[in-house]
Amino acid sequence: MESGVKVWEVFVQKKSGLPFKHVGSCHGYDKKMAIQNARDLYTRRGEGRELWVVESNAIVSVPLDEADAFFDPGEDKIYRHATFYKIPEGVNHL
Amino acid sequence: MNLELKSNESKFLIRLADTATILGQRLAEMCSKAPFLEEDIALSNISLDLFGRAEELYKIICTIENAAYTPDDLVFRRNERQYFNLKLVEQPNEDFAWVIARQYLHDVYSTAVYTQLSESSNSELAGLANKVLKEVKYSHLHTKDWMDRLGLGTEESNNRLQLAVDHLMKYVEEIFSWDEIDREQLADCDKITSAWESEINQTLAACNIERKSIQPLSMRDYRDGFHSEHIGHLLSIMQYLPRAYPDAKW
Repeated sequence: MESGVKVWEVFVQKKSGLPFKHVGSCHGYDKKMAIQNARDLYTRRGEGRELWVVESNAIVSVPLDEADAFFDPGEDKIYRHATFYKIPEGVNHL
Repeated sequence: MNLELKSNESKFLIRLADTATILGQRLAEMCSKAPFLEEDIALSNISLDLFGRAEELYKIICTIENAAYTPDDLVFRRNERQYFNLKLVEQPNEDFAWVIARQYLHDVYSTAVYTQLSESSNSELAGLANKVLKEVKYSHLHTKDWMDRLGLGTEESNNRLQLAVDHLMKYVEEIFSWDEIDREQLADCDKITSAWESEINQTLAACNIERKSIQPLSMRDYRDGFHSEHIGHLLSIMQYLPRAYPDAKW
């Protein structure tokens, strides 16, 4: 597709009340085209009853190269886990 | 193959079935050639809907004609003069504007026709018509959207759509030259004409496309099996395999 086209993230709801699930992405110049394209790509076989498209740019995510630092579970920092702490004597209902 | 349909109902239905087949084939030619992936899939989906519709109609025809034919016979063993599709739908995919304009003109017509057929006394046909209406509604939404985008887009897209509409409109007149069979099988033919006229005029005006007055073509009617020059090539490609290998199974 030529320039000016946007990428959209597609979310499908299987039936009313269930959470929307991310299923992939599609192209579109605007909202209307994006939702039609999403319909063609992702919901033609009864996959859902409702669709959301969100411009990919509008989604805030963690830059890939920062992921290591961002998600560092700190396994070496044992004090982050509840099991590090001893229950003081005399506390009965913790 | 010799085709001799006995009933008026099947003579009428074969017009609808052939129109769906030929348009389906035209759209199938677009597979892998649309301007971008999503549109490719959209056109292929509409094509599959058309083939599905055609098959159901051929089955109804075969039942009415006491199984004298099978749907495969009807699709693959008839020649040009035994096909009864609208000339509009056999027009080639010159460019994307042609594909969209042809489809849009067809969708507005189909909506009006199948709305009336959904009230048919033939319950099988009425059921099919209701299913078709849902499909056409989507196709119509899609093509109407593209009419606006192309018509109101750039100078180039507007020019191309104008050229496509100018050409395709030549094949519209015959659609509304209703004959006795049409009038017998449809509840109100004139209502279809006026619904089509009013929506098309409105849409063309809204998307900045002029509806020019057109010299009548000296071409004979599709209801008698007459065509433009394009049908032969289309059929030779579509029918090649089963004609070359009559025992092929798929």
